[in-house]
Amino acid sequence: MRRYFLLLLVPVLFLSSCGGGQDKSKELLGEDLLKEDSTSDGDQPTISQEVITDIIQQIPSPLEISALLKEVGSDYDRSILNDPEATSRYNSNYKKALNLGIYGTDLGYTNIYERNQDAIAYLNGVRTLADGLSIGQFFDFGTISRLAAQSKNLDSLLLITTKNFNSINSYLQEQKRSNMSILLLTGGWLEALHISCQVLKQNPENQQLRDRIGEQKIILENIMLLLSFYGSSDPSVNKLTTELKKLKAVFDQIEIERIYEDSEYEVVDGVLVIKDNSRTEVKITDQNIADITRITDEIRNNIIS
Amino acid sequence: MKKLLVVCGLALCFAVVSNVTFAQCNADALSEQCIGKLPGGFTFLKSFKIDGQGGAKNKVEYSYVFSKDTQYSINICADGEPTDGIVVSMYDANRNKVMTNYINGNFYPGIQYPCKATGIYYITFTFEGSANHCGGSVLGFKR
Repeated sequence: MRRYFLLLLVPVLFLSSCGGGQDKSKELLGEDLLKEDSTSDGDQPTISQEVITDIIQQIPSPLEISALLKEVGSDYDRSILNDPEATSRYNSNYKKALNLGIYGTDLGYTNIYERNQDAIAYLNGVRTLADGLSIGQFFDFGTISRLAAQSKNLDSLLLITTKNFNSINSYLQEQKRSNMSILLLTGGWLEALHISCQVLKQNPENQQLRDRIGEQKIILENIMLLLSFYGSSDPSVNKLTTELKKLKAVFDQIEIERIYEDSEYEVVDGVLVIKDNSRTEVKITDQNIADITRITDEIRNNIIS
Repeated sequence: MKKLLVVCGLALCFAVVSNVTFAQCNADALSEQCIGKLPGGFTFLKSFKIDGQGGAKNKVEYSYVFSKDTQYSINICADGEPTDGIVVSMYDANRNKVMTNYINGNFYPGIQYPCKATGIYYITFTFEGSANHCGGSVLGFKR
């Protein structure tokens, strides 16, 4: 009988240990949010991967800004984008990651405006930098190039490029290379801010654009927080953080007032449609805009040079 | 000793069943499938995996910065029933509830949210009588 008991007990213990291991480690991550990573190799932050992932995923897609720019009637302007053939200038992983983010935003901008030839040029830039960072496998370049060849494929093109960038971010975080993911997002965000500021120069009274630029205060706070996890161990990130602090000093002068009111809803053709009664008001001056435009240009020029 | 054997046998069954249940949640595939559920005109932004680990986890939460004057759509997909008891609720940065897909006992698989207030929002998935505690969700936008 004892032998049968042991025969049953062994697989129970085996299955419990196999199946539960992953869950236990997840729980520990949740509990040890602020403890130093015991496997730190000098590049790892003193905060859990889970928290970093949570903050990274908050950062909105630059596509949203490109769509806004098109909606406000601004013309397509390739001259405000980075040179898609400048990849040979970006030799370090730091520069590759930041400029991959910049190219990603430029690619989204060309896609939104349905400039297919330009999109293919940026796609090539993306491919070169992604390969240089060993993440090229996430881009289905053949399919993207085929979709980019025809403007009627815009929706599919936006979908596949967004999915590819999302996969890269997930992969980098799983591989504990979140610092690369953060640089990629920072580059993408900065380029979207730069394009917005340049477009606003042509339409200085456009309130939607002014508000959108002011609202970047929320995103910059998240980016600064993410970079702060790596700054002490990485001189390049430290330098970038110092530059972004100048930008933050201007954004700190901008006020975003939020007025909350309960929302309502209605059902339209089986779909729940929410009526949002809350609102935000952005208080941003011409001087704030001028300072943001100037500092953004300075930081961007250091990155793309 | 017989009782001990029965307990061990039950434990073995539980371990096998629970492992099988967790393995069955293919939230990635459900998220992928859900992209096609975005209404026309919406551009895909993000997908969210909803893995309640067979009921062991009662909440899955994500966050995103929504922008005013932008319309968002959140869609849920699950095996079997359209939402399989998955409830999505959204809260603003001060944890005020902005919306939910579970109203008057009905689960709506799609919500459209024309945002009027920019800020960080928490997208929370919970389960109300869910069979599989497993699903996928997508977020799209349009101007």
